[in-house]
Amino acid sequence: MDLEKAFHMKGGLDETSYTKNSALQKRGADTVRHITLESIEKLIMETRPKSMGIADMGCSSGPNTLSNVKEIIAAVEDTCRKIGDAAPEFRVYLNDLPTNDFNTIFQALPDFYREFNAGKDHDRRPLYVAGFPGTFYGRIFPDNCLHLVYSSYSLHWLSRVPLGIYDERNLSINRKSIYISTRSESGVWEAYYKQFQEDFSLFLKSRCEEVVNGGKMVLIFLGREGPCHVDRGISLLWELLYQSLATLVDRGEVEVGRLESYEVNFYAPSKEELEDEVRKQGCFKIEVVHKFHMDRDATASNSISYGNAVAKAVRSIQEPMISHHFGHGILDKLFHLYGKLVDQEMVKDHITSTSIVLVLTKS
Amino acid sequence: MGELSILHMNKGEGEASYAKNSTIQRQIISYGKTVMEKAVYRAVENSLPKSVGVADLGCSSGPNTLMAVSEIIDNVRGTCREIGLPVPELRVVLNDLPGNDFNYLFMSLPEFSTNLSKNKGIASDRCFISAMAGSFYGRLFPKNSLHFVHSSSSLHWLSQVPSGLEKSGEHLNKGKIYISKTSPKFVVDAYLRQFERDMWVFLRSRAVEVVAGGTMVLSFMGRASPDASAEVGSHQWELLAHALMAMAKEGIVEEEKIDSLNAPYYAPSAEEMRNVIEEEGSFVVNHISALEIGWDGGLVLDNINSNVDFDESSKPLKVTKIIRAVVEPMMESHFGAQVMDDLFTRYHGLLQDYFSKTIAKHINLLVSITRKF
Repeated sequence: MDLEKAFHMKGGLDETSYTKNSALQKRGADTVRHITLESIEKLIMETRPKSMGIADMGCSSGPNTLSNVKEIIAAVEDTCRKIGDAAPEFRVYLNDLPTNDFNTIFQALPDFYREFNAGKDHDRRPLYVAGFPGTFYGRIFPDNCLHLVYSSYSLHWLSRVPLGIYDERNLSINRKSIYISTRSESGVWEAYYKQFQEDFSLFLKSRCEEVVNGGKMVLIFLGREGPCHVDRGISLLWELLYQSLATLVDRGEVEVGRLESYEVNFYAPSKEELEDEVRKQGCFKIEVVHKFHMDRDATASNSISYGNAVAKAVRSIQEPMISHHFGHGILDKLFHLYGKLVDQEMVKDHITSTSIVLVLTKS
Repeated sequence: MGELSILHMNKGEGEASYAKNSTIQRQIISYGKTVMEKAVYRAVENSLPKSVGVADLGCSSGPNTLMAVSEIIDNVRGTCREIGLPVPELRVVLNDLPGNDFNYLFMSLPEFSTNLSKNKGIASDRCFISAMAGSFYGRLFPKNSLHFVHSSSSLHWLSQVPSGLEKSGEHLNKGKIYISKTSPKFVVDAYLRQFERDMWVFLRSRAVEVVAGGTMVLSFMGRASPDASAEVGSHQWELLAHALMAMAKEGIVEEEKIDSLNAPYYAPSAEEMRNVIEEEGSFVVNHISALEIGWDGGLVLDNINSNVDFDESSKPLKVTKIIRAVVEPMMESHFGAQVMDDLFTRYHGLLQDYFSKTIAKHINLLVSITRKF
């Protein structure tokens, strides 16, 4: 599967876009906002930058993108005010894959700049926002230009479907699932874990050259509760998507071979796995590593069920990949089924997805 | 302000897109090759940088963008090799208005980067490509962050329609959409004033961003005659106005809409350009030349248009598509999508007629300047 061309969130501004369906991610980031703000405060006090580089990696394209930037800038300015420093010049680096919908972000920039400049005194330092397309598994930014790297709900996406998943005949060894499940053969979770290790350590190595000494990274991931890969968290949500696809196979609307070959480029690490990689790579010191859960009731609205809210969010994330692999025709049916399955599961018991926030400092 | 949002070329890569219809703009970039090489050499030699900042202003979205970037990268490396400087880190910034189709441009980046490392040996950790969306009539980049600036086929676009073309609700450039022989003097003056103001802001902004000794190569539509309404430099707009007026006579569009439309465009003379550069004062002129090119992009030497296309008969259609790719968004937003095909069919007819009688020429100004120390 040509990941580079197919992997991106659903662009644009319509009902099914990522822009309109990323409230869960916002919720998650908000849950640990205090950690993000504290880290920024420490960063400013320790580095006192005159020109500050801020990167958002996996910035995607939606209201969260620029609102994250706004919040970070506000936090920096607050800290500067507290310690009696002038606010620095801001260089904002927005990164995502080349397939990301950057146009929508850029079109929102004139208003963003206007808001930034409105009602400010003449001492205000400039703000520069640039888009850097490319995979964050590798170098993206010039040497030593960043003080803060922020990445929210992006690093659980792998650079590719793990190599070991397809055998010499290019057939999946994980035919009965799309992620790690109870039906996954041995070798599947190892392949996923190995890919995560390669990817995350490359991420750390690349950032090491781009971040100044004393610079920080605030990374928020989807993760898992404990060592077990199969739990009532994210892996269950993938399992339900698999079952929805399987239903379409039973109905003859999807070819069984298509489903067997579909695997997601995703991995939900545990807290321990993250800590291991950071320690091994050696460039960064762990300041904070914190597991948390999102309050599901906060996301449900009166008009649609939680199941449908999750289905819409998952659709905005998975639609481009699913269209690429299965075609557009099944999308509505698939996510309708999916919403129902999630609701049914919720009646039995909660589905609690685990998130992890990692704060690292470059020593 | 409205102009800024519709000033973009036709998006994507379809039949009518800028990407598929920008051969003249590509020719123009290649005509400036030698001047660009010299300017990059000068910039690198002047500052011997460890990290080189290069910007392309008005990068648009299509194959030309990366072609220009590729040239510039080659020039930087070539210069470094020649003067014995280790190859510096390259920071390449692509700039255009927020309405530009950056998504389409970015889609070609992975392949471009792979080519850089495979064919030119430039590792991915030596060259960083980014995009900065915003108007170049104003500050875009951090202070002293650029060593070389390139801008091609963009600076003839003004920041806005000149102010003063309307008085107490009355449109002063009736039946025309640019400067024409029948335009009143204050229309011509308004255009010149807008150009001078815009170019001054452009130069002043870049003066802060370009290091001392850094250089800029700017290439855009101009004219040879001191008279701003001269045919060479304005006729493409004149013919567009003719087509629109014919449609107005047939009741297809409202004449009032034509009166109220004025292109945010100006083709200066070399002298007008030189004057602004000297007035702003931060840059020294290395070179200003005016090149005669055919409407299809071929050079015009000894009054003979060496065709880019050997098929004369397809020239009017080709040129129509080139111009359509550039002006359609503006025309569409003013007159509606439904009349676009009609407009450009008529335009094509006018071009066929014009080309049969004249060697249709443009003047392309090529300007190379250095930031003073």
